[in-house]
Amino acid sequence: MKLDSKIPEGKLEDKWRNYQVKSQLINPANKKKLNVIVVGSGLSGAGAAATLAELGYDVQCFCYQDSARRAHSVAAQGGINAAKNYQHDGDSVWRMFYDTLKGGDFRSREANVYRLAELSAPLIDHYVQQGVPFAREYGGVLVNRSFGGVQVQRTFYARGQTGQQLLMAAYSQLYKMIRAKKVKMFPRSEMMDLVVIDGKAKGIIVRDLVTGALKRYAADAVVLATGGYSRVFRLSTLAIGCNGSALWKAHKRGAYFAAPSFTQIHPTALPQSSEAQSKLTLMSESLRNDGRIWVPKQKEDSRKANDIPEEERDYYLERRYPSFGNLAPRDIASRAAKERIDAGYGVGRLKNAVYLDFKHAIESFGLKTIKDRYGNLFTMYKKITGIDAYKEPMQISPAAHFSMGGLWVDYELMTTIPGLYAIGECNFSDHGANRLGANSLLQASIDGYFVLPNTINNYLASVLKEEHPNTNHPEFAKVENEVRKHIENIMNVNGTKTVDHFHRELGKIMWNECAMSRNKVGLEDAINKIEKLKDEFWSEVKITGTSNGMNTELEKAYRLADFIELGILMCTDALQREESCGAHFREEYQTEDGEAVRIDDKYMYVSAWGYNEGNFKMHKETLEFENVKPTVRSYK
Amino acid sequence: MKVTFKIWKQDKPETKGALKTYEVSGLTEDMSFLEALDHLNEELVLKDEAVIAYEYDCREGICGQCGVFINGRAHGPHDNMTTCQLHMRSFKDGDTIVVEPWRAASFPIIKDLIVDRSSFDRIIEQGAYITAKTGTAPEANAILIPKEISDQAMDAAACIGCGACVATCKNSSAALFTSAKINHLNKLPQGKAEEHQRVKEMTYQMKEEGFGSCTFTGACEVECPEGISITNIAEMNARNFKAKLFG
Amino acid sequence: MAVNPLFFRKTLIAGTGLFLCIFLIVHLSANCILLLPEAVARGMYNSYSTTLRESPLIKIVAYLLYLSIILHVVYALLITIRNRKAKPKKYVINNSKENSSWTSQNMGLIGTMILLFIVVHLANFWARIKLGIGERPEIDIAGNVDVYEVTYSLFQNIYYVIFYTALMIPLGLHLNHGLKSSFKTLGFYHKKGLKIVAKISLIYAAIMAIGFGIIPFIVYLK
Repeated sequence: MKLDSKIPEGKLEDKWRNYQVKSQLINPANKKKLNVIVVGSGLSGAGAAATLAELGYDVQCFCYQDSARRAHSVAAQGGINAAKNYQHDGDSVWRMFYDTLKGGDFRSREANVYRLAELSAPLIDHYVQQGVPFAREYGGVLVNRSFGGVQVQRTFYARGQTGQQLLMAAYSQLYKMIRAKKVKMFPRSEMMDLVVIDGKAKGIIVRDLVTGALKRYAADAVVLATGGYSRVFRLSTLAIGCNGSALWKAHKRGAYFAAPSFTQIHPTALPQSSEAQSKLTLMSESLRNDGRIWVPKQKEDSRKANDIPEEERDYYLERRYPSFGNLAPRDIASRAAKERIDAGYGVGRLKNAVYLDFKHAIESFGLKTIKDRYGNLFTMYKKITGIDAYKEPMQISPAAHFSMGGLWVDYELMTTIPGLYAIGECNFSDHGANRLGANSLLQASIDGYFVLPNTINNYLASVLKEEHPNTNHPEFAKVENEVRKHIENIMNVNGTKTVDHFHRELGKIMWNECAMSRNKVGLEDAINKIEKLKDEFWSEVKITGTSNGMNTELEKAYRLADFIELGILMCTDALQREESCGAHFREEYQTEDGEAVRIDDKYMYVSAWGYNEGNFKMHKETLEFENVKPTVRSYK
Repeated sequence: MKVTFKIWKQDKPETKGALKTYEVSGLTEDMSFLEALDHLNEELVLKDEAVIAYEYDCREGICGQCGVFINGRAHGPHDNMTTCQLHMRSFKDGDTIVVEPWRAASFPIIKDLIVDRSSFDRIIEQGAYITAKTGTAPEANAILIPKEISDQAMDAAACIGCGACVATCKNSSAALFTSAKINHLNKLPQGKAEEHQRVKEMTYQMKEEGFGSCTFTGACEVECPEGISITNIAEMNARNFKAKLFG
Repeated sequence: MAVNPLFFRKTLIAGTGLFLCIFLIVHLSANCILLLPEAVARGMYNSYSTTLRESPLIKIVAYLLYLSIILHVVYALLITIRNRKAKPKKYVINNSKENSSWTSQNMGLIGTMILLFIVVHLANFWARIKLGIGERPEIDIAGNVDVYEVTYSLFQNIYYVIFYTALMIPLGLHLNHGLKSSFKTLGFYHKKGLKIVAKISLIYAAIMAIGFGIIPFIVYLK
């Protein structure tokens, strides 16, 4: 199958407009007859569900949490980028497009990235209209700050709770449409599988997490907005419930999985403190605006941070990347931290952290300003670690964070299964091999609010004449039975080890071999180990309780079963890409001073993996750069 | 460290529950409270017992999904903190820790420590939004909002919807939750058009859901992880009068 | 839209409560006459109470007062019933003292004690003087009903003195929480203003409780 990215004709600046002009329309009376399932209620899911409902479609929205408001978009702290140029610092759509493309190390589509930048400004207008209390100047205009990998100030924020505030806006808008009876919300409902009829996505099988019952839902189109899969590492900045199962099931039903190994490791999370740890809390990248990162110059220095004099501190980011300094992009900052920690300069009890110091910022701007900017982050840090970061530096450490990879989608955000769309973090579209800070809220929102509602009609117009899908179709019964059997199989293993045990093992393998730096031997070894782990899981996992009713262990287990398989694909993908680009750093491909070596003539493509009975087959979408020339990505 | 948990076990909404005692050892002070429960659950699985059901998601204090009553306090012994932010260093070796679900008629128990807080969603549904469709927004800086107003709106908007206010309130009043949302939107120029209707309909829903009335014990603002001030409730009362007079 | 009981009832309680707070100031000022030497106090006190009884304006106020007490009590009861229904099952352990004052958690109990006091108080004075139940009060030289004598003789009984004084403790607690809360219920939300209201409430409650509380003792010791 040839991958057709459906990029519209015309100049880069005109593509989105040209697309809209030519796309099909559906009259309001017909829209009512069409129903769309949206899986996930985060920024992209809630935004899409609300907007599709406003347009007149009949929408069903599902989430596994107890309320749509819990979706993990809520946890994004720092901000959202937009090319508004309010700061008069030379920003423009073009510059934002270029920054994002370069930040992604030229492994994403020009047309998609340009559209992202182009729609960013109206998105801020939208959120302000929906009541998001963005930070403002005394005079009443909006404020911006900087984020990594960028030299202008284009990030809008609401204290350290930007994601929460945007999600509240989307959730409110969603509930407005629920009240209007245009959306039906199904919380505590987890998508277990996708139903494909005659090659088109026509519905899903859902498990009611309270009763354990399996239910069928048919639709004219299915939209996945299920977020990222970095919980494959177990320890990540993600919510505990975040999972890759919806993606994985869609993948097994025929959706190609693009660049699964492109995973962002965030440089500023709280370090792991014990084996029992379940989560690594993120400290917003915005802290790097004013905080300075350092380690002691002396190995295994046991002095307290405040006792180490200025001349014995190594501000390694400022040293290595003088022009971006502490605001170097995430992949680079993470790798630099790993390099220092591995070389024996790590700090903290387990020597697995670096310092993020606000001493100078407090000296120059005053305590009040710093409190105003980051107060809630400092409070959060204190609640978790018990340390007052106004008095001594924070200890931070890299942690698995964002999945740039995801289901392959075309310009319309449709996967390789007609009628199945993937929006937000769960697709591979705009971030290439590395995502810039504050672009995640942006992409999720743009996909949900602006892109999908304008592209889905192109497909829906074509199914209008077809028979409306019905849950009595034999395919629904077949898929439901497969799901039931899958759950029974897990329940029946009745082994001797807990689900968490296997997740810890998987996490270790993935973190060691498929995270910040990768190599051929390690990846091959990892694949073998995960295969073994998979066999062990299916013979040794133990779940108590029953599947008829709420069973949190069972939920963890079927999500983990998919993570294990996904882990294999991630390593396979990392193995085939024999170059270093963005977050994907292959140790074999680096310069003498440890910078990434990209090999454009061989790897200027997006890997898109097909699935067939346990085998993965790679397809290539070659990337063509007509408007910018890929350069060596330097932040020095 | 070693502690004794006494945890509310209740299989179904309609069955009778009771506290069950669990001795747990091998904990460390660095563990979060929820990690200690995870640890207990793993032990239960290996002992072939059903696990304890409790809720969480983000585990960084922002999603609002976690929340249990720990030793007589919503979200545990500290003020303004979520359950997931509570760490075992707040307890002593050998302590007994009593864990109960949120108790309120409007938060029926689903299983063990898990309650149904959909009543909050239904309050939101009755007007915690600005009626404007996607694609109709004017330029963001066209309407100036003074920093002070924006900051006050943000203070109220910080609510994570965990339900600790209802849980700790002897009247199970949802006044702090509802007022925070009303004040967030009604303070902003964008929310003005629907201000009176919003107050009337959201507070009416609050009543319909069976929440009690506020008697200003002040417990809610102490337990609120976001420290949302109880003056929000007074402000909601003022807005309610205003809505009655002008709405 | 129908009246929302969550607001209506609370507003009524706050409004009547505030009215009763004002009444208490008048009541206490009058009681201060009792602190004067007997020769002056008897005449002044009796003529004051006669004036009150005979003024038509005061009559209206008196009915308002009865109504306020009844509404305050009835609606407090209605609210309490509803609030109990909102929390049908109590916690096995509840450390509410760590997040709120005992008073605020027990306004119903405290209110009931005050109601008990009012019943006894009305039986002691109002029933005898206005309704003429029980022993008929005497007439003083000026021809006024000798309310002073009624008061004086009542507080020769040490048990009454203790009862009247002791129950001023719940009154003080109730007033302190009630006054500041009524402002919030009635929609006063100025942050600094509320801090001042809280201080005023405390001072007011202390004056009322101590004022009403010491008078029976002083009368007893006369």
